Amino acid sequence: MRIDIEDLQIAYAGRTVVTGAHLVAAEGEITGLVGPNGSGKSTLLRTVYRHLKPVAGRVLLDGADIREMTPVRSARHVAALPQERGADFELTVREVVSMGRTPYKRAFAAEDAADRDIVARALADVGMDGHAGRRFTALSGGERQRVLLARAFAQDPDVLVLDEPTNHLDVRHQVELLALLRTQRRTTLVSLHDLNAAASVCDRLHVLHAGTVVASGRPRDVLTPGLMAEVFGVRAAVVDHPLTGDPLIAFDHRAPADDEEAGRVERGSPPSKARADR
Amino acid sequence: MAFTPVRRKAADPEASQTRTLPAGPPAAVLGVALLAALTAAVAWGSTAVPPAEVWSVVWRRLSGEPARPGTNDLIVWQLRVPRALLAALVGAGLGLVGTAVQALVRNPLADPYLLGISNGASLGAVAAIVLGLGAGGTLGLGLSGAAFAGALATFALVWAVARRGGGFAPLRLVLAGVAIGQFLSGFTSYLVLRAGDEQQTHSVLFWLMGSLSGADWELLAVPAVAVPLAGLWLQARARGLNALLMGDETAAGVGIDVTRLRRELFAVTSVLTGVLVAVSGAIGFVALMVPHACRPVVGGDHRRLLPVSALFGALLLVVVDIVCRTAMDTQELPVGVVTALLGAPALLYLLDRRPGSGS
Repeated sequence: MRIDIEDLQIAYAGRTVVTGAHLVAAEGEITGLVGPNGSGKSTLLRTVYRHLKPVAGRVLLDGADIREMTPVRSARHVAALPQERGADFELTVREVVSMGRTPYKRAFAAEDAADRDIVARALADVGMDGHAGRRFTALSGGERQRVLLARAFAQDPDVLVLDEPTNHLDVRHQVELLALLRTQRRTTLVSLHDLNAAASVCDRLHVLHAGTVVASGRPRDVLTPGLMAEVFGVRAAVVDHPLTGDPLIAFDHRAPADDEEAGRVERGSPPSKARADR
Repeated sequence: MAFTPVRRKAADPEASQTRTLPAGPPAAVLGVALLAALTAAVAWGSTAVPPAEVWSVVWRRLSGEPARPGTNDLIVWQLRVPRALLAALVGAGLGLVGTAVQALVRNPLADPYLLGISNGASLGAVAAIVLGLGAGGTLGLGLSGAAFAGALATFALVWAVARRGGGFAPLRLVLAGVAIGQFLSGFTSYLVLRAGDEQQTHSVLFWLMGSLSGADWELLAVPAVAVPLAGLWLQARARGLNALLMGDETAAGVGIDVTRLRRELFAVTSVLTGVLVAVSGAIGFVALMVPHACRPVVGGDHRRLLPVSALFGALLLVVVDIVCRTAMDTQELPVGVVTALLGAPALLYLLDRRPGSGS
């Protein structure tokens, strides 16, 4: 299943956060959203999993507008991994993952053998089988994130939408999670802060800046020193990764890009005045 | 490729492995205990009635046979059975409403009184007593009607404030409820001070602390419909309540219309709270404590938590009301006094046993 986002405009808390965004997430590919804080990545993803309503524009699932589907129907196609962590209400890992079955169950319906099977498989996929009876809030950050990913898998979606899934994870868990995404043959739309991670896992990248898509394409074509300066306001060289051959962005951590390098875009909306990316 | 979970297992204390039971066994145990407590509630009192006679009176009444002379037919059927049933219904309702409100505002410390509804009901009831709208300070239907009207008016006010800014955000709902509730309780205090005589002040205070002494068959009718209906309505949305616990975005992602669910939950819990407060006064602590007492046993999943909370709430209030009626020879204790005296230590005990959540 593919996603087309057409001319999307989103306001959040009375402020226009995304304006006229166009992008495509192709069938079976991992599509990355990158951009500085406040560029509108999370807001855009929230519209895809229907937490927010757009002011204008459309999100299409294989050509069908999601807003013309019931929430339950679109949730059978699109599963989300938001940045929320949940409050402590003594839910077990199994109960959290079972939430993924919600769009398939009528009121009062209990889980049947097929549901339990899907939940068990989702837990096994993220390596958390054997932890089903544990309390969710007693897990480590990395374990929680894997359980939440299992919840999304249990939804049996055609499209996965993930908002900064590697946040708060150590490097090993970041690598494991991204590797797992690559083995899934689902259409995946993922926002990532780590540009090097995005460069190696994403088939295609869209760069958001001040609420619009300013560049789209293969990571190697998109992540250029010029874009680093213009959009992110940093100096960087792009080299080949010595192990994988993927593009490797080597940042100059000593000083940000100067005005001349960063010039054109900064005049409109300086990335240094980063707004909360929420 | 799968994750390798082995490294994490060592750091995992055995204590975090929760052993939650399915709802069946606890519900069956609670059901039997509730029947026993109801029997005891009818049997015990200033006139002791043998349990066998309790059931024979109930059986005769239900099957339409005339009462045997020389039995405690009137005491059992007209006074104690309605009161015991009212205790069970109010307790079940408070258990349900506490569980639902805690999910509604995603805060395990919430109870329905946090949303201001009971303050409005209290103001209505106190106005009825002090301004003489009720039947001279007795707990009659006039008083219940005034309390329910107060609850609905408050609900409308909190709703109007909370909906602005979009979506009934939990914090906004709580702040609106607390602010409006405090405002109304200021009025209530003023009316209590203004109350003409000691008798009025006494009945106002007694009502504010909660009492089941007004129970009769007529008063049972509304809660007997409202509590089961609300219970079914909530049970049908148990998965949605679970999803709300994880967060609004997660809930939206699994196909829940979050704004609509919150709106409906707020309406249903407010009306149910209004009904309960109207028939029993503002009984504190039960709605807060019952879900906390049940979660360690059956877990946080609302499909099990809702029915078990309803049963446990019913059992608790039937037992508490027995204490209220029999603890002192000269007068009854208000229900709220006993729920607070028993409930606060019980809650502290539960908190103490609970493993740290780590965040």
